[in-house]
Amino acid sequence: MSEVQTVPVTLRVNGEEKRILVEPRKLLSDTLREDCHLTGTHVGCEHGVCGACTVLVDGRPMRSCLLYAVQMAGRAITTIEGVSSDGQLTPVQQALHEAHGLQCGFCTPGIVLTMEAWLAENPAPSEAEIRDALSGNLCRCTGYHNIVVAIAEAAARLRQAKAGE
Amino acid sequence: MSKPAIGQSLPRKEDHRFLTGQGRYLDDIVVPGALHAHFVRSPHAHARILAIHTEAAARAPGVVRVVTGRDLAQWTTSLRMAPPIQGLHPVEMTTLPIDKVRFIGDPVACIVATDRYLAEDAAELIAVEYEELAAVTDMTRALAPGVALVDELLASNLISHQTFSAGDPARRFAEAPVVVEAEFHQHRQTHAPIETRGCCAQWDEGRRHLTMHVGNQVPHPYRTQLARRLRLSESQVTVVSPDIGGGFGQKIALYREELTVAALSRALKRPVRWREDRNENLLASCHAREDSVRTRAAVDTEGRILALELKIIEDFGAYCFYPANYVARVVALIVSGPYRISNYASDVKSVLTNKCGYGPMRAPMGMVSWVMEGTIEAIARRLGRDAIEVRRINMLSRSELPYRMATGEVLEDITVRETFETALEAFDIARFRERQRADRERGIHRGLGICNVVESTTYGSAFFKAAGIPGSGYEAAWVKVEPSGAVNASTGLMASGQGYETTFAQVVADALGVAPEDVRLTIGNTDTAPYGMGSRGARGGTAGGGALMLAGQALREKVLSIAAALLGLNSSGELRLARGQVERRLGGEWTGTGLSLADIAQVAYLDPLRLPSGMEPGLEAHKAYDPPPMTYSNSTHLCEAVVHTATGRITLERYLVVEDCGTVYNPMIVAGQQHGAIAMGISGVLLEEIVYDGSGQNRSGSFADYMLATAVEIPSIEIISQHTPNRRNPTGSKGMSEGGVMGAIGSVMSAVNDALSPFGVVADRQPLAPDYIRSLLRGKA
Amino acid sequence: MKPARFSYEAPTTVAGALAALAARGDEAKIIAGGQSLAPMLNMRLAQPGHLIDINGLAELEAIRVEANHLVIGALTRHAELTRHGLVKECAPMLAHAASTIGHYAIRQRGTIGGSLAHADPAAQLPMVALALDASMEIACAEGRRLVPAAEFFVSIFTTALQPDELLTAVHIPLPVSHKDRREGWGFRLFARRAGDFALVLVACRLVETGGRIACPRLAIGGIGPTPVRAEDAVTPGTGDSKWIACAAGGVAAAAGIEENERISGEFRRELLAACTKDALGDAMERLR
Repeated sequence: MSEVQTVPVTLRVNGEEKRILVEPRKLLSDTLREDCHLTGTHVGCEHGVCGACTVLVDGRPMRSCLLYAVQMAGRAITTIEGVSSDGQLTPVQQALHEAHGLQCGFCTPGIVLTMEAWLAENPAPSEAEIRDALSGNLCRCTGYHNIVVAIAEAAARLRQAKAGE
Repeated sequence: MSKPAIGQSLPRKEDHRFLTGQGRYLDDIVVPGALHAHFVRSPHAHARILAIHTEAAARAPGVVRVVTGRDLAQWTTSLRMAPPIQGLHPVEMTTLPIDKVRFIGDPVACIVATDRYLAEDAAELIAVEYEELAAVTDMTRALAPGVALVDELLASNLISHQTFSAGDPARRFAEAPVVVEAEFHQHRQTHAPIETRGCCAQWDEGRRHLTMHVGNQVPHPYRTQLARRLRLSESQVTVVSPDIGGGFGQKIALYREELTVAALSRALKRPVRWREDRNENLLASCHAREDSVRTRAAVDTEGRILALELKIIEDFGAYCFYPANYVARVVALIVSGPYRISNYASDVKSVLTNKCGYGPMRAPMGMVSWVMEGTIEAIARRLGRDAIEVRRINMLSRSELPYRMATGEVLEDITVRETFETALEAFDIARFRERQRADRERGIHRGLGICNVVESTTYGSAFFKAAGIPGSGYEAAWVKVEPSGAVNASTGLMASGQGYETTFAQVVADALGVAPEDVRLTIGNTDTAPYGMGSRGARGGTAGGGALMLAGQALREKVLSIAAALLGLNSSGELRLARGQVERRLGGEWTGTGLSLADIAQVAYLDPLRLPSGMEPGLEAHKAYDPPPMTYSNSTHLCEAVVHTATGRITLERYLVVEDCGTVYNPMIVAGQQHGAIAMGISGVLLEEIVYDGSGQNRSGSFADYMLATAVEIPSIEIISQHTPNRRNPTGSKGMSEGGVMGAIGSVMSAVNDALSPFGVVADRQPLAPDYIRSLLRGKA
Repeated sequence: MKPARFSYEAPTTVAGALAALAARGDEAKIIAGGQSLAPMLNMRLAQPGHLIDINGLAELEAIRVEANHLVIGALTRHAELTRHGLVKECAPMLAHAASTIGHYAIRQRGTIGGSLAHADPAAQLPMVALALDASMEIACAEGRRLVPAAEFFVSIFTTALQPDELLTAVHIPLPVSHKDRREGWGFRLFARRAGDFALVLVACRLVETGGRIACPRLAIGGIGPTPVRAEDAVTPGTGDSKWIACAAGGVAAAAGIEENERISGEFRRELLAACTKDALGDAMERLR
């Protein structure tokens, strides 16, 4: 078995460039956590089902466990650490807090990032649509009830803010 | 004075770090120089280990060491599980298997490498010679003569058998007008927290001290076990639990993998860490819920239960990390629930099979309400009576409390009739029945499920003593005011999402007399937290809250005594602490004295000669609280389901729970616990299933196979709260976080059976997979 | 669950991808969206020595109309299929089917080419390709060829693609509108949870002429190694609920259903009847 072969990759994560050396097989989830020291992206299954590892790639939510870091050269990656630009909680984060939409918190970053993107495309969702959008993120603690309430509230606040622009 | 903190839905303090990705879970902790452990696991359900060839793996890139059961036998003791319980056979387990493997996924070797990728590469180079043995995969067949033995030191696979009888059930059955039999089969499930198991062991050779980072619900008992197994003194071990991504009972026992990692750190004199992947978590961590129950009820013609008999067989898997009767006995203990039953007999068996070992999973007794309510429904069907009326006839009323169950459990301060009647009214049963009738004519099969829950929580020391098993149920706490007036508090519990940092700040705030935002709870580190029994059995609120309340109150007394002395008063009787300010009652009005908690603390720490004579310096109170043997809460769950008879699909359209959880510290958090418990119950009934095939292969090794409910399958949950305090503990709380599982299991089963009643079929097993429903209906619908 | 080691390249042209395929032979695997391949890599169920990443092949992202066909580039993401105006207009069944694939995050990355080349019997797009008479455009060093769906799907996880070939586009005939005809489509699947792989899938097209309903195409997925056509089991009729029930029964009775140790053939047949009934009902409602 030959030596470990790494390749250089330049990632752009949360607006910053990061040059790393990784094996082609290194998962983006592991790379973000270990090489970029951003541990807010969590690993729950490594086969794309639980959604805990979801990040934004060029603004689109994707499972970072199904991406290899080498594939991400030139892409803009946003993790949970980069979702709020001014140190304040986003409307999605704030609504989750107020509605008690998190308990252990492990699935939460994946949900926040998925919903940030989804609400931008779906600003006036019904409860059924929210539940369907949420179905790609597994939560074992909350029973989803409060998360759904929070997303509906966040959507309303985002619409209001937009109307006020 | 502002209203008490207890009872307010304060948003959580812990949220900020979780929402912004700054939580600190096990894998987030950076440990420079740490090696990574990875376990090689058996592909066979049952096999002798003839040889393990590790040389090729040991030479692989990045590999530092490869160990097997024989190495671990030198570094650790084996686990002897032999509580003095009649009918329970003692067993002993080595840290890693040496002679044989007992289930698919049983760890046989451990590779330590510089990273997990390389460790997995090396694992492919390990060659294990196995001699396959016949696998035992069915709990009934496990007891057949001549079948393979899972534990060859036992005479059979029956690891535990207890019987119980109270009153004169035999005579009642002989004399009863009607005897009704019913069956209940629950399937194997697993906790599946989103964060799998993992740990990081740091052996400090200089200090000869082990720091074990592990997300564990019971840090102190874990530490005691860990030290003992490593032949270390307990003072040589510190357990530190970081944030935990869900526990649900899976993160209590000291697992073999964790012990191995700790032993490796000591042997290698380097930090060693381990992360279990999802496949391992589903196959080889801890399983639960596989029980078969039969009930027999002797009833009169109106459905009054004259006697009840319960038989339970539990598939305990291959290893006993808990006493084998640990879970099943609770079902037998509390099955009568809210009903009046004095003649009762039970027969509880636990069986070993070649499956992953068993442990408590949120509501280990989860099927019990389904069993009792399902028995009542069977009685109603047999007699042609309304099951609601049969419930009413048998249900305890307030005037009968305190009520001693046939098993000796005492029900007090429960409000079963009240939650039942409130639920029925809130649901508008009459209107439901109209809709049901109309829909049935259109071929839509709608059902209403009812489940009354009496939930056992907290488990004080007296419970263990009465059960004749070793075990302690107290909880400990300390509360400290620092010289600046800052308040720190601690208890022996460990959070995995329950919001302790918020709720216990509320308890301490009220106990002491400060604002909840000024109380910081620190838990999970065995060096600083007081020794307590940890978080399990829905005991946190009652046991932990009780201890914190007592400690906070004791500290308040000291604070006010000091204040009285400083104010030149004879006693502190007219003083109180409110939001950190000392106030005095003069002429019926509370007014400020100008003294703050910080002022008191300054004196206590830095000017102790001004303290009352004989008083110790400092501001710190330690208390331990042993709750009553059991604290019960109750709830009624109603569920409306539609069964799509053409496909067997079940959709839940409405879910209502009326709950009495005693004093509630934070209603929003309690509601969250209710939602989560109900969701776990629904997910189990409809979707989750650990499947072993006939040869013992586990087919449920990924989240594609082991299905957890998503936001689409779980309905909105309506909660009506009717809380009445418990009189026997300092805060009046009752514990409640498992009742939702019990109620969901029972109400969903009941709803489906109500929907299917026109077809004359009864679903008596889970999961309610579409093909099972279709098999009931085939030929009938 | 970490993958076995692989080497990696990311060509920027189809020619480059084909050259890479030719050079690395059997040890190479193409990765597009990776939503099916990456889980297999991570679980070490697949261990290709070399990965050829085609996500940089911009020429495969286009959607256009050409020669009476909707031509969809193989790299088009499922999410794009659900919202692209041309797809919604010319192949609404495809847009809808794509919206049922996995979950929102999966759809941002998974591609139509990847799904078709992977040929999972339980997947939506292979069956829809069959129902819409799609042809797969395949590139190799010698040039390009078109393979009709009925010939493209050979068996479970097996297509007509040779090891040195690349799926570049899907050609779907444009619907023909006719003043005396109305057309409708239906697509239904049965899965345990939202986003799961289906146990059974049905897609159908109905045509009404002069008050009579005919079914020119009905495709079934999930019951065998490839999607199959079953419109022969549907006799033209009135299109009322009795006709629908009868047609659904006929399709279910005639279907060749593979026995599977986890799901009985009998149960699958019942699901097939139910999905067919619902799909036909949807198609009737959509007639225009």
